[in-house]
Amino acid sequence: MNNKLVINYIPGPTMLHKLTGFTKVFLFAVMSAAIISTFDIRLLVPLLIINIIEIISMKPDYKPIVIMFTITFFTVTLLGNIMLFFVSPGVGLTNVGAEHVIWRLNDRLYLSKEFLWYIFVFFIKRTASFASVIAFALATTPSEFASGLNKCGLNYKVCTIVSLAYRTIPDIANDFINIRNSMMMRGVELSKKASIGKRLKNTVLILVPLIFTAFGKVGSIANAMDLRGYGKHSKRTWYAEHEKTKWDPVIRALTVLLLALTLYYIIRYRIIDPYPVDYWCPWVAREEIQKVNSLDTLFILKWIRKLKGE
Amino acid sequence: MKEPIISFKNFSFRYNAQKNPTLHDIDLDIYPGEKILILGASGSGKSTLCNCINGLIPFSYEGEITGTCTVNGIETSSASIFKLSDSVGTVLQDTDAQFVGLSVGEDIAFSMENDMIPRAEMLPVIEKNASMVGMQNFIDHVPFNLSGGQKQKVAIAGVFGNDVEILIFDEPLAALDPQMGMTAVELIDDISKETGKTVIIIEHRLEDVLHRPVDRIILMAGGCIVADMSPDDLLRSSLLSEYGIREPLYLTAMKYAGCSLEGNRNLCDLASLEFTPENEEKLKAFFTEEREAVKENTNEPVVTFKDVSYSYDRGKKVLQDINFEIKRGERIAIIGRNGAGKSTAAKLLCGIIRPDSGTITLEGTDTSKLSVKEIGEKVGYVMQDPNTMIVKDIIKEEVGMALGFRDIPQEEADRRVNNALETCGLYRMRNWPVDSISYGQKKRVTVASMMALEPDVFVLDEPTAGQDFRSYTDIMEFVNTLNRDYGKTILFITHDMHLAIENTDRAIVFSDGELIASDKVFSVLADPDIISRASLKQTSLYNLAIKLGLEPESTIRHFIEYEREVKAHE
Repeated sequence: MNNKLVINYIPGPTMLHKLTGFTKVFLFAVMSAAIISTFDIRLLVPLLIINIIEIISMKPDYKPIVIMFTITFFTVTLLGNIMLFFVSPGVGLTNVGAEHVIWRLNDRLYLSKEFLWYIFVFFIKRTASFASVIAFALATTPSEFASGLNKCGLNYKVCTIVSLAYRTIPDIANDFINIRNSMMMRGVELSKKASIGKRLKNTVLILVPLIFTAFGKVGSIANAMDLRGYGKHSKRTWYAEHEKTKWDPVIRALTVLLLALTLYYIIRYRIIDPYPVDYWCPWVAREEIQKVNSLDTLFILKWIRKLKGE
Repeated sequence: MKEPIISFKNFSFRYNAQKNPTLHDIDLDIYPGEKILILGASGSGKSTLCNCINGLIPFSYEGEITGTCTVNGIETSSASIFKLSDSVGTVLQDTDAQFVGLSVGEDIAFSMENDMIPRAEMLPVIEKNASMVGMQNFIDHVPFNLSGGQKQKVAIAGVFGNDVEILIFDEPLAALDPQMGMTAVELIDDISKETGKTVIIIEHRLEDVLHRPVDRIILMAGGCIVADMSPDDLLRSSLLSEYGIREPLYLTAMKYAGCSLEGNRNLCDLASLEFTPENEEKLKAFFTEEREAVKENTNEPVVTFKDVSYSYDRGKKVLQDINFEIKRGERIAIIGRNGAGKSTAAKLLCGIIRPDSGTITLEGTDTSKLSVKEIGEKVGYVMQDPNTMIVKDIIKEEVGMALGFRDIPQEEADRRVNNALETCGLYRMRNWPVDSISYGQKKRVTVASMMALEPDVFVLDEPTAGQDFRSYTDIMEFVNTLNRDYGKTILFITHDMHLAIENTDRAIVFSDGELIASDKVFSVLADPDIISRASLKQTSLYNLAIKLGLEPESTIRHFIEYEREVKAHE
């Protein structure tokens, strides 16, 4: 069950697993901020490598991770980029600031070196975020996540919702399977024999009893929590927030360092002396960069302009 | 005279959503250290009464209170639930839903977390409370791998976190198999003895609770207290049958034998019960008299398992070389502890999963050639909770749904739906919304929706779980009609010994993926080895036989046969 969902309910044995919830949440938050804030491959690659090392150090079961990665790769990256190529082959120019055409069909459809660079960097960025999410999910139990969030200053009621959600996922999955089985016996076709549309429609049938049984449980859970004093005080302590290990201060210090670097990068390269475009590219010198309004590259606009005879 | 720790005075309560009060004129004193059983059928108000004590009323369920209820010196109508939670601990019926934490340790810690106790101080308390219920080796375990009984133990350890005075157990046996239930009753008794805390048990399963003594029984019906007496007096009275409570089996046996209940001491505890010499004679005579044996079912087999094995993934075998046969028109109890393989066997029969090796034959056809949908026309599988099966709003639509997925002419479909509704006694209600009917009626709807496909075999998963005696009788009478009048073969997956004794011809028992018995119910129940391996519990008939120096197997058989005769004459 743990492996299928990449959720760890039992703390693992490695150094990262054993850190306190706060350290892990803090690291994850800063890591996400760093990855989000930049399109610079000189930063993204090291961040990706750090996250991959984290994942390897936890010795996980790679199968579900590989499956998830493959699915996102094919749907988001491959499909997305092919569509992007048809819709807007000029993104290289707008984001990287130059255009070296390799292949051209006509005015509207062409392939440039910068387009390839753009999708490559974007892929690295997406993979780095993916890796950081996986690293965090592997390292953190839901309770640690909740207690860590609370330590970061979030209201504890919000944090409990997080851990309760994780608490119920396996139960709901179980109910779903049971209900699906009984539906299949009544003749609801959910196997590959039926068309996708029909399967979707039939899946909705399962959701009706699933939702009702889930709501039925909410009342009992709420009562159980009230009866044990949940919400008595404005704060609470956390069993899951255990003592610091000797690595906690080290990782926290490194996280602060990463935070400082990210802030420095943002201030230096995006505020004080902003780089003209988002994407740094090894073969495009700063002086050569042309600034183009991204809307201008959309082929629909080009087409409309052409019609107007501009 | 001690001061009562709980005191109801002229107390009534009406839920805001309801017109009439749920509790009327309750006058009740409970003293420190007492162990009380609150007995009553569903809807008698017993759960409402306990929610008045723990503060859920009026905190979570709003309503109108008249009269007073004082708990540990606190007037509940004005106190907060948190103040009450310091003196009252409640273990709820749903062992799964009340497990809030993501590990045993975390769940036990829950109330201490809410009290802002530092983690370092929690740890020794968790350790102590976990070992009190025997869960000290499970502190890091996640809830998903625990049994219902283990979850309940954790819940008990959890309410001890804030050192309460009063413990309330709301239907503690509902989610447990017989052996776990027995352990729970013993655990509750040990806690009550060792800690001297006031214990209130709410149940309708009288015999199981009386496995250990209670000081007093409060019988509730229609929102009123109808009796407040010692267990012995209650058993001697006629109140139990009057208010829909099942009496202990050994008492039924005594009544069948024509014994008078007066003059027997310790009536509530079979082990120390002293029969009057006259009764002992009568019982011995009753259990040894010659009786016509139930005739063997000689029909052709409808279900055959031959050398069936199954394993999830590549791991451990869940079922190993299973062989059995079920004849047309038989009623079978499929018995075994959770994870023993009984649900897997049922899934195999229904084709949801397929055997790794061996063959399953259904009415002469090898099921490996059939799709799940096709098997569904021969076997109707009815899940435990009807709410997990019902998808349509109107009864008739629900019953006809399965036909809509098959190419059946409208006329034929209508005929079948009407037939199914008729058979299940729902025709009158065919246009009613599903929301408006009771649990037992919903059960009928789910059976009817299977019935529309006209299968010959029904698999009923725990059809009576959590039901009181009246609802149990209602459901079982209905199922027996299907068997008797329509010749359906019925398989019950069940923990309920009463169900097996009263309503089945044969028991198939699983343990650790093996079939360990396939025999008459009375033979299975007289075999201590099977009983312990299947997590069952010795019925009181067995103990009665031992006490009288009779042979258990024939004693149980006599009882079953006599009961069938009585039922047949009704």
